[in-house]
Amino acid sequence: MAKHRGKGIAAIEYPTGMNQNGDPSQCWIKVKPDGRIDVFAGTADIGNGSKTIQTQIVAETIGVPYDWITYDNSNTDSSPMCTGTFASRATFVAGKAAEKAAQQVKAKILEIAGKEMEIDPADLEIVDGEVIAKGAPQTKLSVADVAGAATFGHGELITGTGAQLKPYAAIIDAETGLVDSPPHSAISYAACAAEVEVDDETGEVRVLRLQQCYDVGRAINPTLVEGQIEGGAIMGLGLGVLENCYPYYPSVEHRGGAFGSYLAPGMEDMPQIDTILIENPSADGPYGAKGIGEMANNPQPPAIASAVYDAIGVWITELPITPERVLRALEEKKEPRREGKKVVFDEELSVNTVSSGGMRFEVRA
Amino acid sequence: MKVVGARIPRYDGVAHVTGRSAYVDDVRIPGTLWAKALRSPHHHAGITKLDTQPAEAMEGVHAVITWQDVPHLVYGHLEALGIPADEPLLAKDEVRYKGQPIALVAADTEELAAEAVSRIEIGFDERPALTDVRQAFDAEAPEIHSEGNWYKHFENEMDRRQIRKGDIQKAFEQADTIVQGVYRPAAIEHAPVETQVCQVVPEANGRLTIYSCTQALYFSMGVIAAHLQVPLNKLKVVGGTTGGGFGGKVDTATETMCCLLAMKSGKPVKWRWTREEEFLCSSTRAPWHMEIADAVTKDGWILGRKMLTLHDAGAYSRFSPYGLTKHSFHHTGAYTIPNLEFDGYVVYTNRVPTTAMRGFGVTSVSFATETHMSRVADVLGLDPIEIRLKNANRIGDTSPNGIVYTDPSTVSTIQTIAEAIGHELPADYRTMSNEPRAGEWLPEHLVAQMGNPEDH
Repeated sequence: MAKHRGKGIAAIEYPTGMNQNGDPSQCWIKVKPDGRIDVFAGTADIGNGSKTIQTQIVAETIGVPYDWITYDNSNTDSSPMCTGTFASRATFVAGKAAEKAAQQVKAKILEIAGKEMEIDPADLEIVDGEVIAKGAPQTKLSVADVAGAATFGHGELITGTGAQLKPYAAIIDAETGLVDSPPHSAISYAACAAEVEVDDETGEVRVLRLQQCYDVGRAINPTLVEGQIEGGAIMGLGLGVLENCYPYYPSVEHRGGAFGSYLAPGMEDMPQIDTILIENPSADGPYGAKGIGEMANNPQPPAIASAVYDAIGVWITELPITPERVLRALEEKKEPRREGKKVVFDEELSVNTVSSGGMRFEVRA
Repeated sequence: MKVVGARIPRYDGVAHVTGRSAYVDDVRIPGTLWAKALRSPHHHAGITKLDTQPAEAMEGVHAVITWQDVPHLVYGHLEALGIPADEPLLAKDEVRYKGQPIALVAADTEELAAEAVSRIEIGFDERPALTDVRQAFDAEAPEIHSEGNWYKHFENEMDRRQIRKGDIQKAFEQADTIVQGVYRPAAIEHAPVETQVCQVVPEANGRLTIYSCTQALYFSMGVIAAHLQVPLNKLKVVGGTTGGGFGGKVDTATETMCCLLAMKSGKPVKWRWTREEEFLCSSTRAPWHMEIADAVTKDGWILGRKMLTLHDAGAYSRFSPYGLTKHSFHHTGAYTIPNLEFDGYVVYTNRVPTTAMRGFGVTSVSFATETHMSRVADVLGLDPIEIRLKNANRIGDTSPNGIVYTDPSTVSTIQTIAEAIGHELPADYRTMSNEPRAGEWLPEHLVAQMGNPEDH
């Protein structure tokens, strides 16, 4: 009886935006008479941080401090259309709409400032809330004064709108699956290494460490993207070794109607997590960002399954890898069936074991 | 760049951690009625009797709704994408999963609403339930839906999602080894801290204000409007702050029924699922069944992949056909495999409908294909990192559905992890890049699949 350590790796990719597109997000922005900025978008923040991210994008694009901006996603009367927070689209798609709306606002501020300063708007830029003549930084006018002039002098509202949409397009060939255009907005990439310890007496698998590398395109906010990656890793750990609604599948007997009977990861399950970000900018995302929210729980289960094999020499391909499954696998020590050049694992799980109507999985060689 | 790239604290972080963020359950409207649902106690049954009179007659009960109260009973979240609806908002003559809502009551208190639900007279004709996706998939299985146990509306009314690429037969003939395996991730709960909850206020001007925990305000508003058959200006969805949503809160699980109760009673109505309802009746991540056979060479090239996927939709389609298509497009994972034969089926079982959850469609296939990749390496006696780098998708490679990769980072992410864990790579693997294949990394079997990244 002993504890065995093992390591495993997985590499994954994941699409951003709704499959086959057709998922618009829109944003509109207005500027108050003192230059403070109101952003209206319909993107629910489910904990993914999209309020923060879109606010940062607007601040950066216009050239004003972050805390000048109020972000309102509270209702469908004031907010324009956003398809929603799913498909890893809140930064990539909705964030792009915010960037476009902010560009319009910036252009309008420069236009009014140009009149006030009697300088061609093309020769002006906005830095830290001040409109500055390029190459002559002493010549400047605050955005607050520009907004005041627009409101009380020119009789104008500084506003901007932005919309991001890849039209619903990808036509799928029914026979081959070939599409006529990319059915996603971008693809993100990640790799994960897991280290586990398996107790061959109790069957318990402990995930000791997860080392992960994500290509995020551009980290709009490194703290938040690391948070998503680490939070996702814990969900992936749950998928890998803990969570299951129906432990007696195919029975539909549920584990129970309370948190106390459902095994989700708790603090005692936390491994050491190391996150490495790399930035390979996407052509279309705001500031090169890619969406990684969803894929963050994808690489851990296979990395853990491979690490368990490395530790105790058995493949467990039904999730979660529970103590019961570990002990059964150790007891059975199943070898794959070898036939000619075929190496066939898991035959006892195949549809072929229950099929009576000819629906089989056959491989000819 | 000053603001983009900065580690700015979360916009609503202080409010969240000090308990000052307002969620749906924090909304207090005087005179609010409470809703409770009559749910199916059976996995599969015909409804032989439904009499709500005893509940309606109770003091303090202000509205009871059944399928007859829904203007447009059967509407699907993805009808706009060509996925036909098959799920009634409230069950009509049949229930296909335990927990399926049949009728709702709005009453002065939660306790009274529950008591009224228990007085609704209902009769069932119980039918056999199918709970193993492999059995439901079988051509001779009893049928859960009138058109069978498979979703039959992929392009050209196909009953499966197919991928066909290259020459699969040739790949398996040329292979040195064929490695086969079966992968089965479990159904899991979304388990949000905030259960499904909704509060609807019928306004004096005839509009409905809907406080919702939805992840998708406009998406949900569209679903509500379609069921109620009203224009969008009759609805105001209030939300934007969600107490945990991982896909399940795109389901619009409570809002429409709450609207109907508010319209019928003329009073504000709130429906807050208990923790038990959240666990037992809300949608789950699907349990998937995947079988893979890879045709490989002894030095670790993957020539071809044959794959069968059964996507357990539970009792109704919801988002599953969408998820399966996405799954099929990514069934080679981060690698380039030139010869493919993929068949995927959306299969109905008598489980709670499964739905989108973080990584939808791909979490399953990542588990299957990446575990399989490690197995292939082990069978061949090769390094699991080197075999991944070798087959990694590169600029100019094509995906299963014919998209040319323009900015893949598979090589960089794997190299970064190899270095992080101290795994020494041979020089040619260390210097490999994401750039288009050439030299030793462009074997003959990968030439024909290459495309022009400029086209995409």
